[in-house]
Amino acid sequence: MFLEVDLVRDAKRHGKGVVGIYCEFTPRELILAANALPVCLCGANNRTIPPAETVLPSNLCPLIKSSFGYILTNRCPFYMVLDLVVAETTCDGKKKMYELIAEKKPVHVLELTQKVDEQEAFDHWLAEVRKLRKRLEQTFNRTITDDDLREAIRMMNKERGLLKEAFELGKEEPAVLTGKELSDIRYRVAGVAGHLKMLDEFISEAKRRKETGRFAAKAGAPRIMLTGCPTAQGTTKLIEVIEECGAVVVAQETCSGLKPLDLMVDEDGDPLEAIARKYFKLPCSCMTPNTGRTELIERLAREFRVNAVIDLVWQACHTYNVESYLIDKFVREKLGIPYMKIETDYSDSDRERLKVRVQTLVEML
Amino acid sequence: MLTCGVDIGSRSIEIVLFDGAAVVETTVANSGSSPVENAKKAFSDTLSSAGVRREEVAKVVATGYGRNYFKEADTVSSEILCHAKGVSYLFPTACTVIDIGGQDSKMISLDTNGRVSNFVMNDRCAAGTGKFIEMVSLMLDVPLDSMGVVTEVSNEVCEISSMCAVFAESEIIGLTQSGTAVDVVLRGVFRSVAKRTLAMSGKVGLTADVVFTGGVARNAGVVRAIEHETGLKLLVPPEPQITGALGAAIIAASKA
Repeated sequence: MFLEVDLVRDAKRHGKGVVGIYCEFTPRELILAANALPVCLCGANNRTIPPAETVLPSNLCPLIKSSFGYILTNRCPFYMVLDLVVAETTCDGKKKMYELIAEKKPVHVLELTQKVDEQEAFDHWLAEVRKLRKRLEQTFNRTITDDDLREAIRMMNKERGLLKEAFELGKEEPAVLTGKELSDIRYRVAGVAGHLKMLDEFISEAKRRKETGRFAAKAGAPRIMLTGCPTAQGTTKLIEVIEECGAVVVAQETCSGLKPLDLMVDEDGDPLEAIARKYFKLPCSCMTPNTGRTELIERLAREFRVNAVIDLVWQACHTYNVESYLIDKFVREKLGIPYMKIETDYSDSDRERLKVRVQTLVEML
Repeated sequence: MLTCGVDIGSRSIEIVLFDGAAVVETTVANSGSSPVENAKKAFSDTLSSAGVRREEVAKVVATGYGRNYFKEADTVSSEILCHAKGVSYLFPTACTVIDIGGQDSKMISLDTNGRVSNFVMNDRCAAGTGKFIEMVSLMLDVPLDSMGVVTEVSNEVCEISSMCAVFAESEIIGLTQSGTAVDVVLRGVFRSVAKRTLAMSGKVGLTADVVFTGGVARNAGVVRAIEHETGLKLLVPPEPQITGALGAAIIAASKA
């Protein structure tokens, strides 16, 4: 599999646009339809946090600090070559960080309305998605037709479908894949044929494991659902700790797992509206009330037969941190299984402390 | 049948030799800079002072921070489960455990069978733990063992409002320099430890009987401060710091 960095540079050399994104709310289809590459920018490394803290307050979530640290030190290889950053008004920290990035690179911010059940909120979001189409047309000096959008929708649905198929292998019992292995299958550039091929191979290999009885965890290993903040590659310490304690993470209700894969974009009807609809329904904790998350947790808990739910909150992620109260109640009272919240950051220094908690939970199951 | 519990904590090591019904021998040692080595020595010391050969010990369970590195152990268990086990052996009516050790504080709720039903542990922060009290002991030049007696003399207390051990230190310096008496400062420190610990009770509840374990439970000043804040009488084992090792030894007996 070719390196993401090489792929992006190669595309750039051939005159393709590069658009940096940070969040699962970004409608990647629009970027693909503009003949540009949507690329997830770096933000999953503890080492870029100290430089970020020379500008940002230290009591901000590690994801924001690490992302900004990459920009500040010019260490993100994608950031150097991008034409535009597309961002959304999700949490306050990110929203204001985008204003700082805008000092250095062109940034387009979509105003994400946050009352998911209201028509007016959706109408506004749709208008924002429409404005992004215009902005991309101007940036890359081309017209995005509805047919371009439909083709991009099919491509992204195919990619999401394969990722979903891979993550749904977590339903197997005994587990054929560890949560750590599943965390490694995401690719930072969307809509790449080579990535789809790699996913195909990954899925076939996992199925072969099942046929040959090569399981990823012992029979009877506790099955854990991870929910909460995303765990991009490089920030999977909690998944590692859970699996070192003898349990297996079978379901990931996070933006780095199943959360953005649950819904596809409708391939019929007005393509722009279908795109806006899919992204608007992402059950992120910045939405209010975020009832979609408990519905998804309930469904995944049943389908993946999980024994406990562990909620990851990156330090100073206020929305997930506060929402954890509701998730705690929901998991214990409605689902009747144990729940544990873990608040931590990107550093490795608390691994042993995390192990005490996780091992206790695992021994209790 | 003999079993052994080994609790390798951040500040101290406790060893309990158990005969299936009662404690045979206990050892307490410092963790120091090589806790696993020191645990090995404490383990063999315990055996020799009890006059027991290694092969007579049917099972060894390790707990505490060093648990995964102690090669003499047959198996490991989390200290939360070990403390719960030790407490329900000592006090069968216990419903809640407050455990304050060298760098952790924990609250554990027990079901009617003495099993852990819920627990909460402090985040990565020294305030409200044994290490913080040790630091205050050095700053104010009051030995750890005398702290309880020193604070018995009155009820006058001062406010320590910092949530962080480092900032609390500067706050204490400010108080002593402005002439606040040492016992008043100490009562303020103990009250802040009590408040920090009890902040965790929102998650697990505080149902009597409440048992206080861990090295900090030896400090009568902290016991009084928690009792004052909760209005509850705390049950404290005679050797509160060995509770985890005792629980480990009992778990070992049930697995042997």
